[in-house]
Amino acid sequence: MREMNESVEPPVLEISDLRVAYGSRTVVDGLAFRVDRGEIFGLLGPNGAGKTTTLSALEGLVKPLSGRVVVNGVEVQRYPIEAKALLGVQLQSSSFQAELSIEQIVKLYAGLYGVRLSRAQIRESIRTLGLGEELGKRFKHLSGGQQQRLALFIATIHNPLLLLLDEPTAGLDPQSRRTLWKRIEKLRGDGSSIVLTTHSMEEAQAVCDRVAIIDHGKLLTLGTPAELINKHKDDPEVLAVAHGAVTLEDVFIGLTGDEIRD
Amino acid sequence: MRSVIDDRNSAARPSLALAMRSLLLADSIVLLRSRVSVVLSILLPIVVLVVTTFGKAQSRLGGSDLVIGLALILGLLTSCLLGYSLTLAHDREMGVLQRLRVTPAPTWMIMTSRLVVQVATNLIASAIVMIVGTILHGLSLNAGQYALILAIAVLGAAMFLAIGQALVGVVKSSTAINAIGRVLFVILLLLGLLGGSGILGDTMKTIGDWSPVGALMAFFSSVLSQATWSAQDGYSLLACLGYIVVFSFIGIRWFRWDAQ
Ligand SMILES: Nc1ncnc2c1ncn2[C@@H]1O[C@H](COP(=O)(O)OP(=O)(O)OP(=O)(O)O)[C@@H](O)[C@H]1O
Ligand SMILES: [Mg+2]
Repeated sequence: MREMNESVEPPVLEISDLRVAYGSRTVVDGLAFRVDRGEIFGLLGPNGAGKTTTLSALEGLVKPLSGRVVVNGVEVQRYPIEAKALLGVQLQSSSFQAELSIEQIVKLYAGLYGVRLSRAQIRESIRTLGLGEELGKRFKHLSGGQQQRLALFIATIHNPLLLLLDEPTAGLDPQSRRTLWKRIEKLRGDGSSIVLTTHSMEEAQAVCDRVAIIDHGKLLTLGTPAELINKHKDDPEVLAVAHGAVTLEDVFIGLTGDEIRD
Repeated sequence: MRSVIDDRNSAARPSLALAMRSLLLADSIVLLRSRVSVVLSILLPIVVLVVTTFGKAQSRLGGSDLVIGLALILGLLTSCLLGYSLTLAHDREMGVLQRLRVTPAPTWMIMTSRLVVQVATNLIASAIVMIVGTILHGLSLNAGQYALILAIAVLGAAMFLAIGQALVGVVKSSTAINAIGRVLFVILLLLGLLGGSGILGDTMKTIGDWSPVGALMAFFSSVLSQATWSAQDGYSLLACLGYIVVFSFIGIRWFRWDAQ
């Protein structure tokens, strides 16, 4: 059944030989992977590994030196507008217009994604976000976590086929984190795929169907969390850091080393 | 692969009209909420108009046509060179532009919406300044002249916006843009007023007359003093158009959406 589906539908995301450089420095170096429909895919790596840059290439924010990024059969470089319409995006560092209220921001982005929402629908969705009290508050007056919640909501406003989340749980309280995972599960149930980055290996192990660990822009390993643990549990570097049963975090540190990145 | 995109082509592109309307609305709200900019671009010119009705200031500055021209230019210059470019630089630094850029709205639309809102505001502000100015200074103009003044105001707005866009294109940091914008503001004014007045000698007079403020000033005053179209007006128009082309090119060619 699944095989049949795969032969008909293109993968939701397919990246091949992706290379991105800032000036003379190559920060994404020959990355390749694919994401299937309904999959939650974790992109893991230490600070500066190239996760955000990889996502930027998917979003069309940076121009790759080489490689192809194809979203559901649509090549991002050639058809940026069509590709962007399929993507829901939450950026690691970005902001909405500080002077707009939550309601105005929702209205703006609904319009940009071609979603027609009535005033009542907008208010209802803001209420379900737990921001009902802040309806008319300007973006700049929201707390960091509230801003993050709004950003995540905007990312899903058009029920995107592929959701790209860059450290979505950073700065969220445990309640919001749970709500976020529920939302992600629901979106997946509705047929979306999700690519996310996180520094919490626990979280990745718990929610991601597959993870890729990258460093210095190169793919180190890729598979389900269980597969990765199984594959690397006997590596000497992994054994050296494991206490008891090997976890995804042990594999991560074993593969990427334990010194802090600048 | 082709068939997928062809199937999707029409369906997958969100409505441009809806996107444009949403952007225009949001940009208008942002602009109206930046009170400093709105107040400065209307109040500052009006203060100039009021102050010059007292005593001999007017004749020393060269007649009410020049004073009203100056007031209009002050308004345009503040809101375009200081308001528009600073907001743009700030939004770039905060990642507002990046967030907009990952939506399916074409990038030209994001910029066009801002410019349209800016020019519309300039038009309204100029109309207010012009009406207050003609009343305070006892000038009576016909409808055609009013329309002409507004047309020149749009030309001026386009020119100063192009200069602002070039500034944001060439300089990355918003702190630097803020500082340079202020210096540029003063230089452009001095060049156009002092240079154009001839106090600083003939060379400076020529430079001043051809400078953005000088050219615009000549334009305004020839309409306000109800003179007929002269060769000088043709040169001024040429100069303004030239500045628009050159600075727009710089502003578009070197514009970066991210601050890094
Ligand atoms: N706009 C830029 N200009 C120049 N260098 C950049 C730029 N953005 C990122 N870099 C560099 O590229 C490398 C990869 O950065 P990137 O942001 O992709 O890392 P990351 O994996 O997302 O890290 P983090 O976990 O800290 O978010 C880093 O060394 C960074 O300094
Ligand atoms: Mg990052």
